Amino acid sequence: MRRRHSRVIKKVVYQILAIFFVAFMLLPIYQMLVTALRPADLPWQAPAPLFPDKITLKNFSHAFQLVPRLPRYLLNSFIYGIGVSLLSIAIAIPSGYALARYKFTIRKPLMIFVIYANMFAPIMLLVPIYTIMKTIGIIDTYFSVILAGSIFTIPLSTWLTVSYMQTIPKEIEEAGFVDGCNQFNVINRVVLPLMAPALVAIFIYSFITGWSQQFILALVLIKNDKLMPIAQGLYQFFSRSSVRWNELMAAILLSTAIPIFLFLLVQKYIVKGLTSGSIK
Amino acid sequence: MRRKTVPYILIIPLLIAFFAFIGFPLYKVFETSFYKASFLNPLARQFVGIENYKWLFNFCYPNPDVSYFLMAFGRSLLWVACSVILKVILGLLAALLFDSPYLIGKKVYRSLIIIPWAIPWAMAAMMWAWTLNPEFGIFNSILLRLGVISSPTSFLASPSAAFITTFVIDAWAGLPFMIIMFLSGLQSIPGSLYEAARLDGASEIRQLFKITIPMIKPVMLTVSLLSMVWTFNSFDIIWVLTQGGPLRATETLPIAIYNTSFRMMRFGGIGKASAMTIAQVLLITLISIFYIKTMRESDKA
Repeated sequence: MRRRHSRVIKKVVYQILAIFFVAFMLLPIYQMLVTALRPADLPWQAPAPLFPDKITLKNFSHAFQLVPRLPRYLLNSFIYGIGVSLLSIAIAIPSGYALARYKFTIRKPLMIFVIYANMFAPIMLLVPIYTIMKTIGIIDTYFSVILAGSIFTIPLSTWLTVSYMQTIPKEIEEAGFVDGCNQFNVINRVVLPLMAPALVAIFIYSFITGWSQQFILALVLIKNDKLMPIAQGLYQFFSRSSVRWNELMAAILLSTAIPIFLFLLVQKYIVKGLTSGSIK
Repeated sequence: MRRKTVPYILIIPLLIAFFAFIGFPLYKVFETSFYKASFLNPLARQFVGIENYKWLFNFCYPNPDVSYFLMAFGRSLLWVACSVILKVILGLLAALLFDSPYLIGKKVYRSLIIIPWAIPWAMAAMMWAWTLNPEFGIFNSILLRLGVISSPTSFLASPSAAFITTFVIDAWAGLPFMIIMFLSGLQSIPGSLYEAARLDGASEIRQLFKITIPMIKPVMLTVSLLSMVWTFNSFDIIWVLTQGGPLRATETLPIAIYNTSFRMMRFGGIGKASAMTIAQVLLITLISIFYIKTMRESDKA
């Protein structure tokens, strides 16, 4: 009897703890939603009401007036995302396949370097990236951010390919060789279709990274307002002395909804890739 | 075509990318750290030997006793330690909670808590800045209503408050990854271990310390090292929230590198920024070596 009692208490306590924790994790998202849906002409209240008092959808259309280039920023982010993911795939798929399937002299050092390269962040290469881009004259172009952004998605993309290939039995390809196909035919006809899930995961992972995590690179490489990605574009309206919070939050909501959705779709693959896979 | 050449053909793009995108820039950082140079005219540079490295230790600003670089470096170490410890402890507790048989609706909770992972850090920081607004933000409102604080408080105005707030928000941003990794670690523990322990009459606390924690130790180690690297490289969140202020309280090494290279040209331009970057690279390399070592060990096991 006492045991059952303590089980009930435990259930209640755990439920409360979980709700508190989720509330902490989602607090800024809740704040964004409430602000984006609140009429902009309604005066702010201190302390702020915990639940929305009045709801409107006007902020979403007004966001385009506050940030006239909002569609352009979104398009730019899209271009950065596509560029980074295409480049990552083009490099990661063949090399990841080679690393997973062939034994060759520099294989192990290369695997280790892939892991090491994954540790790099823009801040560590910011100065040379800027100098190099300036010297070859591609500063303030889409190309500069796409090239620089790919540096940081290629290693994990390669690693994801390796760890995915390690889960697929070799026999499937060997059957292809038996049927008389040559190396590249097997890769084309057998391997690439097999790799479709990894391909999708890498595409979305690098697309989201290219789309959204270019803040510091764009801060340095892009001065032209017309080429700014969404985070940097919106940051201009955040760093002003008086911020139009309702419209800004509506703009952030509009621009994060799609990446969040895509991310939730593939996060399982990314986690799997990060947890599995070995250097061997 | 000979079978042996195939892998080399396949890895050519990767080799080119690594050489052009990482090897060459890294060499450039190293080279530039021995020159006096400026972005305004990168070609007009002057060899100064190890002057820039000396500068790291004898340029004292704004504190007359400690060098600018050492202040930023020490601040980074403390900031990263606080953030990573918070991530590991909260991440582990949350993973245990979301894996507990007593919790109902685990799947819902799990999919809710990973949402912050998908929000770009710069935008998440903007959302937090508004959430923490002293007058109209919801965080102050909640604390006031709960009676935790008696008057509106600014969490970014004073140096110590800003330091704490930025690493807590960084932990917030890193927690979803931690929890997911810990959860997958917990789920890989065979249930038979717990059954055996239960038959032996071991309490749940004892099971936690004798089974759960030893079993997920490898995961905890690799994930902590990975998170340490990311946290050392963290820039966006601090930049958007405080730009390294107030009074340089949140000026970690990445912020200091950015400031030295792009904002405060009078500090001496890219030669000195490169010398600072070398410190950052060495730090990350050191952690990477540990990381790769632990990975290889878990490979062998």
